Amino acid sequence: MDFNVAEEEEFGFSRNYFLAKEMGSSGKKSARKLSDINVVDEQELREASANIEPKHQNDVADLINSYKSLYPKWVFDLRCGFGLLMYGFGSKKSLIEDFASTALAEHSVVVINGYLQSINIKQVIIALAEILWEQLKLKRKVSSGSLPKVQQPFSSRSMDDLLVFLDGPEMDEKDSFICVVVNNIDGPGLRDTETQQYLARLASCSYIRVVASIDHVNAPLLWDKKMVHAQFNWYWYHVPTFAPYKVEGLFLPLILAHGSSKQSAKTALIVLQSLTPNAQSVFRILAEYQLSHPDDEGMAIDNLYSISRERFLVSSQVTLNAHLTEFKDHELVKTKRHSDGQDCLYIPLTKEGLEKLLSEIS
Amino acid sequence: MAPSLNDDSPPSTIDEAFTENNLQPFVVLQKGSSRKSDRKSSGTGRTRRTDLSSASPKNSANIEDEKEDENMNLRMEAFEFVWSKIESTIKDVLRDINMNVFSEIQTWVHQSFDTIRSLGTPEFPEATQSFPIITDANSKRLFTGLVLTKNMEFVDDLLTFEELGKHLKYQGCHVANLSSLDFTAKNGVGGCLRSLLRQFLMSSLDPADISILASWYREENCNNPVVVIIDDIERCCGSVLSDFILMLSEWVIKIPVILIMGVATTLDAPRNILPSNALRCLCPFEFTLGTPAERMDAVVEAVLVKPCSGFIIGHKVAVFMRNYFVSQDGTLTSFIRALKIACTQHFYTEPLSVILLEFASEEDNLVLEIERYGLSPEVIWKHVFELPSCQRVRLNKPTSESLAHAFSELKRLQNQWRAVVLCLYVTGKGEKVRLLDLFCEAIDPESYNQGEFDTNMKAEKDPVLSSSRIKGHVICKAVRLVRDLSTAQLGNLLKIWENLTVGIPEINGKVKELLSLLNVEDGKSSKKDLTVTPRRHTSRIQLNIEKDSKSLSDKAANLIEGMVRDYMHPTECIPFHEIFCFKDADKLRLALIGDPRRRIQVDLLEFQKLLCCRCCTSSSNALLPSMHDTSIMYKLAQEHGDLINLHDWYQSFKSIVLCPNSKRKPRQSPLPKKRKGIKEAESQSEASIQARFCRAVTELQITGLLRMPSKRRPDFAQRVAFGL
Repeated sequence: MDFNVAEEEEFGFSRNYFLAKEMGSSGKKSARKLSDINVVDEQELREASANIEPKHQNDVADLINSYKSLYPKWVFDLRCGFGLLMYGFGSKKSLIEDFASTALAEHSVVVINGYLQSINIKQVIIALAEILWEQLKLKRKVSSGSLPKVQQPFSSRSMDDLLVFLDGPEMDEKDSFICVVVNNIDGPGLRDTETQQYLARLASCSYIRVVASIDHVNAPLLWDKKMVHAQFNWYWYHVPTFAPYKVEGLFLPLILAHGSSKQSAKTALIVLQSLTPNAQSVFRILAEYQLSHPDDEGMAIDNLYSISRERFLVSSQVTLNAHLTEFKDHELVKTKRHSDGQDCLYIPLTKEGLEKLLSEIS
Repeated sequence: MAPSLNDDSPPSTIDEAFTENNLQPFVVLQKGSSRKSDRKSSGTGRTRRTDLSSASPKNSANIEDEKEDENMNLRMEAFEFVWSKIESTIKDVLRDINMNVFSEIQTWVHQSFDTIRSLGTPEFPEATQSFPIITDANSKRLFTGLVLTKNMEFVDDLLTFEELGKHLKYQGCHVANLSSLDFTAKNGVGGCLRSLLRQFLMSSLDPADISILASWYREENCNNPVVVIIDDIERCCGSVLSDFILMLSEWVIKIPVILIMGVATTLDAPRNILPSNALRCLCPFEFTLGTPAERMDAVVEAVLVKPCSGFIIGHKVAVFMRNYFVSQDGTLTSFIRALKIACTQHFYTEPLSVILLEFASEEDNLVLEIERYGLSPEVIWKHVFELPSCQRVRLNKPTSESLAHAFSELKRLQNQWRAVVLCLYVTGKGEKVRLLDLFCEAIDPESYNQGEFDTNMKAEKDPVLSSSRIKGHVICKAVRLVRDLSTAQLGNLLKIWENLTVGIPEINGKVKELLSLLNVEDGKSSKKDLTVTPRRHTSRIQLNIEKDSKSLSDKAANLIEGMVRDYMHPTECIPFHEIFCFKDADKLRLALIGDPRRRIQVDLLEFQKLLCCRCCTSSSNALLPSMHDTSIMYKLAQEHGDLINLHDWYQSFKSIVLCPNSKRKPRQSPLPKKRKGIKEAESQSEASIQARFCRAVTELQITGLLRMPSKRRPDFAQRVAFGL
């Protein structure tokens, strides 16, 4: 690239930024509130978003189909030792899974869904090691060789051991690799450095090839040069699909439902599941109280404390407060000043949502 | 399983997305089927090809298809052959470059080990105790080799330290390689100890304890030094590293550990990272590796200039790779990676690249058996004659022999080219002429075709012209250097040239001729020196000698000019080079550097180009309701500052979606005007529009182009990207 052009671009970039900044602060900023929009009920909104009529359905399908002609090339690249990195607007989940299931039919394929909130990378690696073990066993049977006995089940081995096993010496058949499909390698469940380091080490293993997708414009910032050049060894492909991000967006709040105090039962469930059983039970007491006293403004803290203590859920006010702080931080519980002046607690969920939530945490 | 793409109706509700495997953190999509034993190792491409017959109609015939597959497998084989050759060449080159330093380090390691031993070996009862022995301050000294890498990019040195480890292992040392990742605050000193145990004892015991290491060393007969290599100390966590050093120093009598640490910046680095008590334990020595530029030149010389695999890159590709190295990435690793990508692409696209299998392995007498390449002869000949470089020269008859002849001609020309380039390189080496730059110029077909070298050379002779025009012209710089050489230097240079041009009689003869002329001159001048001359004549004779040498170096310069003009045929000017030469720089760039930040925005702004739909293409920039929702939203967002008022954004979105015939260019506050038209549609589709708005916002959030409203500013979303 011409140096001047690059410089020009850089200037353009910062100029745009400052122009935008200026526009924001020049007083033209609109003061309209989100609440001015007559937002429909959240339930209705979710229903409607489930039934959005897709636009350009055929064009999108054509576009995705046109990538099929690239499949042999992708296989070629994988066999050459590269990892494939797909980017471009639109969900690429079905595209790469289709690629894996048709073009890599002879290989084992494991899919990691990075768009989910929490992923235990060790579990994935254990599963991969087990698959590889099976494969090797099968192969040795054919070639009548013997495999060293597994001293330890994979699940109790350390990460390093597992990665060493996956990085074993090359087999005679060079291209018998396991394909790891990572949907949204930049997703919330995989975004931390440690996981990325493990993924990078996984990708550099001799038995593993990675096909991953990114959606975030800044995703490359997740990796340093060692990861990019020596471990992931990315081969970039620009494959916009314009397919809706259905699953990927599932756990993100709807913006119009966000501003209101309504918490979706789903996110509440996710938060609750991450808490201790005792904390869950405390929440349950509060929820049951709210369901049985629908007209009450909320449950008094003292009341909650005495019931929790009776059930041996908390030993002191301090422990209860710790739980409550946790709840409040995640907006599971809110405080309200009762008409008699006492603070009381309530859960900002609808009756139905609350019932559903209770049934799911039990 | 995942919803298949072949379905015309993708899942219409979100619930479908829920039900499948999509909510599992990970899923085993399929297990590898056991292959049939008769299948060849590289059979993957085969099955898929048939599926694609609908996509590429010309492959309709089954036999053709199979041939194609066979060809593809051969190409894969050829790629593996060529790349392994390149890779091993690179490894060798890099190892050779470091060899001096490696052996220096090795000598030092053994000396240090002897010093440690001279402090005394532990007695048996002491040795078996599980605590360290400390006799005096001296026995706590830890010999430390600081290896200055002269390179901020530690990724290039990973291989160096790995090789160093191998080298020392080969010399009998116990070696462990630790990386900065072992020194994290999270794992503490236990993490590095575990890593040590795992590398020395080949096992991972959970309570990692250094006494285990000590007893292991005792069992190993205590005759060899233990070397711990840390590749980049600047990236280590300082406190963990200092704990590690303190621990090792206490045990140094029992376990004679010698540390080797990579330092990317300056010798100050340890002082900046470590506290003084840890520094006091170190007994540092300094070693220096070659610079990245030196390594680059060595790699370029071995892989791209000298005959290595037969695979070569075209001018544009070379320039792209050079620029990427010089101004963007700066690592040799990425340069090599780019070369690999180029290689992959070449073998994938060029059916005749199979020939490289033989082209590289056999020196002379290339025998081509077209039938062996899996393609039918007709297809091959058609392909050969369609090569652009073949259009210029007509092959009289398409036979294997004539093709083989053409290839040997190509080899001959390449040899000449190589000789000239190397001659230029040795000429300019001392004056910081980089081989990479030289290479890029030497393979430029344009300048060769236009005789640009020629004009530049002429300009060179005219000092007035030369200053402005030839600046930075590496070849001319090298030629100019020849003119300024003294006789002795010229003699040395000519001798090197003579060696480099062996096998090319045309050039070699001329070099020899000049060399003999030089020797005659030399003899003359030395004779003149011997004869006693009156004082006043000396200066004139001196002048004469200078003049002679001047004319000699002029001759040498003319010679190299002639060589450049006559013998430096860039490969891209030779017929059939397409079979060996990869030229598509754009493709390489796309594969090497993804540009998600720009491309994703362009996807959104110009989506109609990608989707090829007729409904959204209009000459004006107006937003149409048929456009992709997220695209509309993103285009609308462009009109806002860094903050987007959600209310306004929603209203503009709504007005566009609801107003199919509106030609109006949407502005920020669309509300007041046309209430009437909207009214009836409003009630029914309010929910759906809001849902679409929400989804578009979510999608923008996923792409990272939008930051959600904060608590402080609940009514504004924040733009993240400004401009492409």
